[in-house]
Amino acid sequence: MFRFVIVALALGMGASTAVRAESVVILNSEDASYSIVDRATRTEVTRLPLGREPHHLAVTPDGKEVLLASTVTNDLVAIDTTNGQQRRVVRDIVDPYQLGFSADGKWFVTAAYRLDHIDIYRADGFRLAGRIFMDGLPSHLAFDTDSKTVFVTLQQSNRVVALDLATQAIKWVAEVGKAPAGVIMLPDNKRLLVALTGEDAVVTVDPKDGAVSGRLQTGKGAHQFFPKGDGRHWFLSNRIEGTVSLIDTQDMRVAGSIRVPGGPDCMDITADGKELWITQRFLRRVAVVDLAQMKVVASIPVGKSPHGVYILKADATSPGLPIRAASTEPVTR
Amino acid sequence: MSGFLDGWIGIQNWIFEAVVSPVLFRFGLMEWFEPAFNAVEFFMLGVVQIVVIALGMRLLERRWSPERAGERGLIGVDRVYTVLNKLGVIPLVVFILAYPITTEIERQVRVLGVTPPRLEHLVPWLRDHALVTFLLYFALFDFAAYWVHRAQHRFSWWWALHSLHHSQRQVTVWTDDRNHVVDDLLVTLVLVVFSQFVGVQPDDYVLILMIGRLIESWSHANVDQNFGWLIVGPRFHRLHHALASDEERHIQDHNFAPVFPVWDILFGTALYDRKIRPTGVAEMHIDADNGRGWIGQQVTVFWRFLGALVPRFNRA
Repeated sequence: MFRFVIVALALGMGASTAVRAESVVILNSEDASYSIVDRATRTEVTRLPLGREPHHLAVTPDGKEVLLASTVTNDLVAIDTTNGQQRRVVRDIVDPYQLGFSADGKWFVTAAYRLDHIDIYRADGFRLAGRIFMDGLPSHLAFDTDSKTVFVTLQQSNRVVALDLATQAIKWVAEVGKAPAGVIMLPDNKRLLVALTGEDAVVTVDPKDGAVSGRLQTGKGAHQFFPKGDGRHWFLSNRIEGTVSLIDTQDMRVAGSIRVPGGPDCMDITADGKELWITQRFLRRVAVVDLAQMKVVASIPVGKSPHGVYILKADATSPGLPIRAASTEPVTR
Repeated sequence: MSGFLDGWIGIQNWIFEAVVSPVLFRFGLMEWFEPAFNAVEFFMLGVVQIVVIALGMRLLERRWSPERAGERGLIGVDRVYTVLNKLGVIPLVVFILAYPITTEIERQVRVLGVTPPRLEHLVPWLRDHALVTFLLYFALFDFAAYWVHRAQHRFSWWWALHSLHHSQRQVTVWTDDRNHVVDDLLVTLVLVVFSQFVGVQPDDYVLILMIGRLIESWSHANVDQNFGWLIVGPRFHRLHHALASDEERHIQDHNFAPVFPVWDILFGTALYDRKIRPTGVAEMHIDADNGRGWIGQQVTVFWRFLGALVPRFNRA
């Protein structure tokens, strides 16, 4: 019932989709909407309707569009990465919970969390190449740097699956720990890091065979990664503990920790590298972390269960790079 | 208002972090993390509803009841039903039973490439009119609930379950939740699947349930009040609970609508009058529910249901 008030306020603010750069796009997964928050004033400028249960987003390989994925209406709404203007809608992408492009931009993969399958598309025209049914809630995904393999965590069955992009064949399936969620490939292309939401740690996994070779304790409910941008450090949200860990992947240690209450989840960094924005799923807010101080300096009300987050850029020409696929598919910038 | 909302979310978050989240983590149930958070809100809204019923509605009922309070002991078991329902105990059981079924149906339909329609896609104007959209979904949901209610009276096996609701001789604001668990399960299954197909969002679904059930609690009040053709009120709905007589054998085949009487008006089942009638059912074996507690009613009515399905189980 409270959402009426919020929606009424949002509608009162108008529904123009063109906004200035450095505005922040937040997907309100339980409100069927996305919020545009102004970075400078730290206020929600507008809230716009978006399909149903939008969770994650991905930047197209040419860097010009962000695809906002609605899981129940099976579509991707493409908005301009510089001004948020809606450009087109890609339909018939079934249950696109998590999504991302391979590094060469040729493959587009979605994880259908609710419907238990992984879809591999040829990115050119979003042509479905293969659908692989995998029990156990496929949730997050990452690519190797040479665009041959996609790795998908299966949250309910404690496993990770590796799929060959060209043949869509299963390379291996391996148990890695309780409720694996966020997964990243490190720049050396030799180590996968997997966050264990059912535990308080991340594990290092060999991309060749899925063998677990290391473990780093972080915080309860380890969930989602995001690159700091130096090729060495990654942020990790710990949903139960209500913290974000800064992981040094070279020394494999926790280099810092930031208290972020309310089930912190997806993240993005401002172009100047000064602020980390994090959705607080349970508080219906997005937190702003000052990275110099390593603490939350603002928490801005948005819609219900905010999930994916993306900061619009004044200059968004990054050809051939999956800048922030699903806001969780980090590559070094 | 934002302060109130922040306070509400703060309490929800505190309950979740202090009680629910550690349990989920301990027992490896992290895939239920988000639904469990929403369940906490369901619980909190249930507390609010109980307070509204116990303090607000009961006060009006005591002041303006047209039907003299008879055996007070009859109402006690209805309070148990209300507490178990509003605080989420029965809904949790129903959810656990219904979830695999409704999810599988959704899966099969979605894999076939069928996506649920949304009113906003058909009428883009609705995208910018959230309140109108919500009311339309509410009306659609209520339309389905109207026909489910008619089915509860139409089929003997379903009536065997639903008759528990009608067996109460002292219909009050506590009576709405007096239902058999299997009846709750069947109604939930039909309405959830319907909601999936017409595009009612999960969040709206919960809100519709909350508002609808509160209106239904009031429509069971022992108060001579009505909202006309707009919303179902106590006078309108108490007629549906009226005891059949020789002159009015089919009196309960009227006024089925849960929230919007328009369905009864459209489909010829509306009956408006101001006559005060006793409530309950004439059949002695159903009326006997009044002498039983919650467990006794659940067991007896389950056998009644089985007996209606398979005659050899008939114990009446």
